[in-house]
Amino acid sequence: MGHGGDKGRPSKKHKSSSAKEDRRATVVDDEDAYYAEELDEDYRGEGKKRDFSKLELKPDHSNRPLWACADGRIFLETFSPLYKQAYDFLIAIAEPVCRPENMHEYNLTPHSLYAAVSVGLETETIIAVLNKLSKTKLPKEMIDFIHASTANYGKVKLVLKKNRYFVESPFPEARWFSFIYLLLVLKKLLKDGVIAAARIISEGVHGSDGFAIGKSLGELENGHSELLNEAELAAAAEEKETHSFEVDPAQVENVKQRCLPNALNYPMLEEYDFRNDTVNPDLDMELKPQAQPRPYQEKSLSKMFGNGISCKKRKKAIEKLAKLRWNAMALLHGHWCRFGVMKPAFIGSLVAMVSRYSSMCDCRARSGIIVLPCGAGKSLVGVSAASRIKKSCLCLATNAVSVDQWAFQFKLWSTIRDEQICRFTSDNKEIFRGNAGVVVTTYNMVAFGGKRSEESEKIIEEIRNREWGLLLMDEVHVVPAHMFRKVISITKSHCKLGLTATLVREDERITDLNFLIGPKLYEANWLDLVKGGFIANVQCAEVWCPMTKEFFAEYLKKENSKKRQALYVMNPNKFRACEFLIRFHEQQRGDKIIVFADNLFALVEYATKLRKPMIYGATSHVERTKILETFKHSRNVNTIFLSKVGDNSIDIPEANVIIQISSHAGSRRQEAQRLGRILRAKGRIQDRVAGGKEEYNAFFYSLVSTDTQEMYYSTKRQQFLIDQGYSFKVITSLPPPDTGADLSYHRLDEQIALLGKVLSVGDDAVGLELLEEDPDDIALHKTTRRAGSMSAMSGAKGMIYMEYNSGRNKQHGQKKAKPKDPTKRHDLFRKRFV
Amino acid sequence: MLFYPFPIISMLQVTFLSCFGIMVNAIKGLLISCDIPMAQFIINLDNSLPPSQKFIIHNLDSTHLFVQPHVSEMIRSAIAEFRDQISYEKPA
Repeated sequence: MGHGGDKGRPSKKHKSSSAKEDRRATVVDDEDAYYAEELDEDYRGEGKKRDFSKLELKPDHSNRPLWACADGRIFLETFSPLYKQAYDFLIAIAEPVCRPENMHEYNLTPHSLYAAVSVGLETETIIAVLNKLSKTKLPKEMIDFIHASTANYGKVKLVLKKNRYFVESPFPEARWFSFIYLLLVLKKLLKDGVIAAARIISEGVHGSDGFAIGKSLGELENGHSELLNEAELAAAAEEKETHSFEVDPAQVENVKQRCLPNALNYPMLEEYDFRNDTVNPDLDMELKPQAQPRPYQEKSLSKMFGNGISCKKRKKAIEKLAKLRWNAMALLHGHWCRFGVMKPAFIGSLVAMVSRYSSMCDCRARSGIIVLPCGAGKSLVGVSAASRIKKSCLCLATNAVSVDQWAFQFKLWSTIRDEQICRFTSDNKEIFRGNAGVVVTTYNMVAFGGKRSEESEKIIEEIRNREWGLLLMDEVHVVPAHMFRKVISITKSHCKLGLTATLVREDERITDLNFLIGPKLYEANWLDLVKGGFIANVQCAEVWCPMTKEFFAEYLKKENSKKRQALYVMNPNKFRACEFLIRFHEQQRGDKIIVFADNLFALVEYATKLRKPMIYGATSHVERTKILETFKHSRNVNTIFLSKVGDNSIDIPEANVIIQISSHAGSRRQEAQRLGRILRAKGRIQDRVAGGKEEYNAFFYSLVSTDTQEMYYSTKRQQFLIDQGYSFKVITSLPPPDTGADLSYHRLDEQIALLGKVLSVGDDAVGLELLEEDPDDIALHKTTRRAGSMSAMSGAKGMIYMEYNSGRNKQHGQKKAKPKDPTKRHDLFRKRFV
Repeated sequence: MLFYPFPIISMLQVTFLSCFGIMVNAIKGLLISCDIPMAQFIINLDNSLPPSQKFIIHNLDSTHLFVQPHVSEMIRSAIAEFRDQISYEKPA
């Protein structure tokens, strides 16, 4: 299990004052000040051995599924009857660390609690439910930590209404916290120079501490702006009103930044009241009836919306919730003790009800990130979100192929008309007609800073000027933070939804997403989805291929340090293992196989030797589509070779075997993304080997040359999947000894010829494939040189912004080949030109 | 956590007898048996040293080496270092 207890947590313990004083204190105090002091003494150095034998269990502990530790770690028994409810609750408040089959580990962090508050859970609810589920009395440190972390979160919201930005104090908390306290928060914000400057003082409000008061949620704009005076305060508290002030749209970014934990520490919740938005035209799209979101998709959407219920229902729900909360409070204070021990079913239903009603409370759209494994139907979640908001939607994908796939998904799942959806890539420059629609494009197209063609300049201008109801961002983990900032600053969107399968990066930038997009709204458990039959049941295996004598001798030589990767990838034993696996799966099982190779030299060598089609950076869009089509439909093409262009969001549902022959160093994200290519649930295909749910129906092989650097990388890469509960089987005897000359490179002279080939090519050619924007590069090779083929260096790989290649702008293309500076010419040629 | 089954290197104190004409030489040394890559590793280690410090007396075949008796610790530590380089441990 992980030892990540210390990660990302500023403190395990802090001032032990009563909860109430504590909250009051945070209004004035800067929390970091007293966080830091006590960090070291108590929890460092306690080391590995801790005695828990004196810990007192609750009498009915066997009914309760949680172990909560003082340092913020929580362990969940997955075999408990309450597992489902407890899981739903925990995933909302804590960060999963490791989730094997029987026991999950979670960690409470400030970020995870921020996410919890943002989906509508409140401090007291969190503590009450946690206490109910825990086998032991909740440690005081944990309660204090929850208080400290949630005290400020969610106390201010940033709301975009009729295209005006408001900083608002939400009312539900007003019932629990002093009302004056909330006003103090707004006042405190206004004391900050940046925020004060950004404020727009509207008519009807005078004085620096006058706030607009809305009669109820969503009716802020009805001209009921009133002057607030001290006498009305109490009355206002009774009437559940919201207080807000308006900020300048241009300053919103700065205001948000000032509210981050490292500044004022009042992180804002962003919500979009799309039902009351009358300025932006509605987009007429519905989910098709056959699009049935699966339970976990529903759940993730309900975290984003409050179940999409009408306002009247919402009011009822709010009242019900208030009652429910009271009950939870009563439980917390032990008023119900006289009824004896709680029945697990009751605790479970209480937890479920609290989380359900909290999400029903509010039917606005929240910004945030939804984490679902690859193949679990992220695109349906995206399309459903768009069709609930029913406003113009900008959908961002990572490359042109996935743009096509998104456009296809929109048409497949929703009733959107063809003219309402358009793609904007270097090849397709369309813009929808009418006043609302969906645009699918790539991050590069939007963030591109250089000169654009006239046509795309026009479209980008349109994108800039429009107010987008939803900004849908695919594969958010790959996009560098600066590109996000740019995209977000260019596009004005009311609500942002990020989708990803692997919220992990080798640099620790992943936390930036918390504030650039929003908190993590939902994260599914991979193994649960496997059990539910929603994603494929994958057998992961690490195949150990010993280096041959000659290759290892070269590998060890110092002068070959740059060719090491090529040497262990081209290891003849590995080649034979790969060939064997391809043959086995093609012939015996009739599977569709993807072979991944990051190393371009190896990719080309393997693919040509085995006579299989391949796709890499330089492969044109047309050719890619063609290869993928044949792979999907032809019986003769059952194996394709992909470089890392195939890692993300190339949708190949047919494939069910992956063989990985080389990889990008120790990138955990890449491993998970590659596994994701085969995770899509496989239909019941009769001609496959009998497949009950217990049977593995997909295979992931990672070929590793033993005794090389690859062993290190391989173990590191697996960590993410291991944390998701996968286990890797080690296979040592592949290919079997009796396969002699059937496979290539059996004879020594063939092997030596191959070795000669590897050694003779230039260092550049055997390096990694060079792609633009490669998130892992930043972290894995801090300042190392980037190797790439000459064609990549000169930009001929097609991964650059292809604007100049499009038909109409040919004249630009020629301009690129500028005449050389005559002074730089070689002597021989200078004479000729002068 | 996977354990990397490192090739167990066996070292045996042996006396190597070579017969050249009528002269009989007896050399004391270590017989190392290991797998193919480790043998290569040791050969590479030997090659990287200056001629005066070379320790391999005979390269018997791809899995057996005959070396000078005093190098066993040096070889073990070199292999331990190599092993550490290529095994990943999850940071605590």
